[in-house]
Amino acid sequence: MSNLAPVVVAANPEAAPAPRPAAPRRLFAGLEDVFHEEVFFLILCVFIGIFSGLAVVCFRLAIDWMHLALLGPLPQAHSWHLFAVPALAGLVVAALVLHVFPGIRGSGVNQTKSALYIFNGYIPFRTAVGKFICASIAIGSGQSLGPEDPSLQIGASIASALGRQLEISREKLRLMAPVGAAAGLAAAFNAPISAVLFVIEEVIGRWSAGILGSVVLSAVASVVVVRSFLGSEPLFRIPITTFKRPSELLAYAVLGIIGGLASVIFAKSVGYLRPRLKAWPRWTHYLQPAIAGLLVGLIGFLGLPQVMGAGYDSMDQAMHGQFTWKILALLAVFKIVATTISFVSGTPGGMFAPTLFVGAMLGGAVGDIERILFPHLTGSTGTYVLVGMGVLFAGFLRVPMTSVFMVLEVSGNYEIIVPVIVANTFSYVVSRSLQTIPIFDLLTRQDGLILPSLEEEREEVILHVEDAMLPAPVVILNAQDYVDANARRVQDSAEPAFLVRMHPSGWNLVTREQLQRMDREGKGELTLASVLPKQSLPSLYPDLPLDSALRYVNDYALVPVVNRANSHKLEGVVSRDSVFQKYGSGRVVDVPSVD
Amino acid sequence: MLWKLPSLLQRSATMILLVLTFAAALGFAAVSHLVTRYTANQQARGRRLYDIGLAAAKAGHYDDAISALRAALTCDPTNSQYQLSLARALRDSDDSTDNSRLEEAQSYLVALWQRTPQDAAVNLALARVAAHRGSVEDATRYYHNAMYGVWNSDADASRNRARVELIQFLLKKGAVAQADSELIALSTALPPDPDEQLQAARLFQQAHDYAGALARYEEVIRLAPLNAEAQAGAGETAYRSGNYALAQRFLRAAVNSNPDDTNTRQLLASADLVLKANPFLSHISDAERNRRIEAAFAQAEERLTGCAGQAGVDLKAASPSAANYPASPLPILQARWLASKPDLDRLRSPAETDLPDTIMDVVFQIEQQTAAVCGPPKGLDQALLLISQKREAAAL
Repeated sequence: MSNLAPVVVAANPEAAPAPRPAAPRRLFAGLEDVFHEEVFFLILCVFIGIFSGLAVVCFRLAIDWMHLALLGPLPQAHSWHLFAVPALAGLVVAALVLHVFPGIRGSGVNQTKSALYIFNGYIPFRTAVGKFICASIAIGSGQSLGPEDPSLQIGASIASALGRQLEISREKLRLMAPVGAAAGLAAAFNAPISAVLFVIEEVIGRWSAGILGSVVLSAVASVVVVRSFLGSEPLFRIPITTFKRPSELLAYAVLGIIGGLASVIFAKSVGYLRPRLKAWPRWTHYLQPAIAGLLVGLIGFLGLPQVMGAGYDSMDQAMHGQFTWKILALLAVFKIVATTISFVSGTPGGMFAPTLFVGAMLGGAVGDIERILFPHLTGSTGTYVLVGMGVLFAGFLRVPMTSVFMVLEVSGNYEIIVPVIVANTFSYVVSRSLQTIPIFDLLTRQDGLILPSLEEEREEVILHVEDAMLPAPVVILNAQDYVDANARRVQDSAEPAFLVRMHPSGWNLVTREQLQRMDREGKGELTLASVLPKQSLPSLYPDLPLDSALRYVNDYALVPVVNRANSHKLEGVVSRDSVFQKYGSGRVVDVPSVD
Repeated sequence: MLWKLPSLLQRSATMILLVLTFAAALGFAAVSHLVTRYTANQQARGRRLYDIGLAAAKAGHYDDAISALRAALTCDPTNSQYQLSLARALRDSDDSTDNSRLEEAQSYLVALWQRTPQDAAVNLALARVAAHRGSVEDATRYYHNAMYGVWNSDADASRNRARVELIQFLLKKGAVAQADSELIALSTALPPDPDEQLQAARLFQQAHDYAGALARYEEVIRLAPLNAEAQAGAGETAYRSGNYALAQRFLRAAVNSNPDDTNTRQLLASADLVLKANPFLSHISDAERNRRIEAAFAQAEERLTGCAGQAGVDLKAASPSAANYPASPLPILQARWLASKPDLDRLRSPAETDLPDTIMDVVFQIEQQTAAVCGPPKGLDQALLLISQKREAAAL
């Protein structure tokens, strides 16, 4: 160990030198008999879950304590506390962000993605500390932000720090941050499935048994820890939900469309204001969180204190029909305003809870209006509120799968799965057509980072082997035939190389020159099978990604594309030129000889 | 790096796992201590707010109570007692124009019920919410759950109270048969307490189960012989069930105990009249029977004439055909009365054993029809009507 260079750590990943690659497999050099690295990594994921869970428990207590200490158990409108407290807290947070924790501004999701794709899994531990302190003060004082994003980042930071300490391989270290993020998010939402799906859908972007296993282990471990301390109560008291007639899906579709439009307004507001406020002179950054706090507090002071903080209590009340549709609509609108102000001011905090809040209020309002217009609708306010939460999650955060499972996991009710899917789909489609870039990608680009857009990757058209496939050659040789007979068959053909059908299975390749040379060498009486190399030619299937052809086309002039049901049945062939033409590269590379 | 594991540890995966386990245990201990202290503080704060909320609810200031109880719940979100009290405050504050608070109350209670379905207090609160909504099925289910659930104290009395509530609700909703079956169950479980027996008797009476009511009143009189309300109740139920002799005895005792009770006095007078006018009593002589029949027959004619005058029907001018008076049965009754009048002379004949019944049938028809046309009668007519109803009931 001592001959390894020390790990370089900097507070801000943007300012940090390129992180040193972790020592590959150093830890396991003498331990392979005891623990395989994969197994050890999975055990480590459990510990990440435990530590993240413990951190998130403390974080939640800190927010609650701050809230009680600064605003009291149930803040009422028209109290001067409502705007004075978040404004003063904003000043403190601004000073901390600018002088002590400069890396905590921004979205935790994006910082975790950056760690995965740019910084080799590196997230400074100071980020966790900073997020913990600043987000506690900000959310506790009433800024319209949620604790989930900071929890996610706290989990990711803990995981990254642990991975660096243990000097695990670079490949594993990169995965540590998402694993920790899943643990943090699962602990914050008390919903492991949604957290796992979110991290895979939005951060990692790919599935494999290893990734899924590690993420699931950490998420479950963190949820177990949180539940052991804070109980297994869901975030909301789940109302009685009903879905009786399929015709009511139209009402949910309307909710999806309105939710999609609201998501676009929300995303565009954030996307428009954030870079402008960030570009203002540095001295204004000291004041921005305070002014945001003042404005959010004023909204509360003037009669809507529900928009302050994460707002889970108000969502709970909305689910149980405690607000009229007018109040619900006002809360939805002002929550968008308050969250936009809070977030663009650079105050640390997340947008998960506000997104759920806006969706809940919008869902309740739309549901109530629909039921006034069409009294035969049977869905309760609580049902629309729950569906609305998923709608904004799908439209604003653009995580369609997570949004469905989120609602199901939070509500524990599968009766509403169809309305949720319908509404979320409409919301997602509307949002996607009006706001091309998802909010997380938008924030990343505003920060000057180019991270893979997982939504774009999902939508990308994948080329398959069949797209570059050429028709099967006219001349196909038989391995059981004699060399001289085969040489005569190819005599008049213009092709340089020919496929040989081997027996009992497989394919091979032979050139005209090879056949003629063998014939000259007196091997004409031998079968082609006896003179060709035993190693058969790789074959492809038409539905495989075209990328898989790239492995072979440089080594073989022709690669057979065969039927999956019958490997002797030739569907066509691919060549280097046909593949490159499909990719549109236009490069021409000399075909190496099969010799 | 802010912290660094000793490099020695990094040589052994086992050591690393031991260190991580130790760190996790340490973390658990520290967070556990933190959570315990925080929870204790929160619970103390919640208790203070809860007391404020309870006091406000007791004073009928439900909005204040709800705010305080909500605040108490933010301090101690899983406290069942707070949830139950908030649900009760929400339910009691609910007005008929806005069911939202009732819905919220129900959601709290359903959440509590899911955790402790056997909790009688939760079931009772849910039953009251269902009763508030008017749902007989749900209310009955939750009341039954409450009755057979776990009570923290005074289980038998609490169960009886829950059953009484259910009976009152069922009676209010007109589900008399269900209420009566609950009453039968209640009567077997009641302690020998005059008040509880009296309450059950009243409920039996409301359910028109006069036999059951009489049994309960008699039980009260056995326990408290001078209870005027029980005497009056027993008299009334005996009167309603047609047992006028028993009614007379109880009603007389009740009037003696409480001479200002005008309703009881009227019932007593009516019972006296019934007993004096009834020609079918077994203990009277033939002469007395015949006298009563003649008096009843004469009274029937008087009632018929009076009712015809009230209804504007001229009995003398009218022909007793249905075509002339399609809407009034009075002329036909008069015709029947006139046709039976000669029979009175044959009453004393020992061979005419069916004649008293035949004559009294005419009397009863006249009393019943005139009651339908001219409204409830008074005095002797009322007594005759009651005798006719008793005869009909006996015939069934």
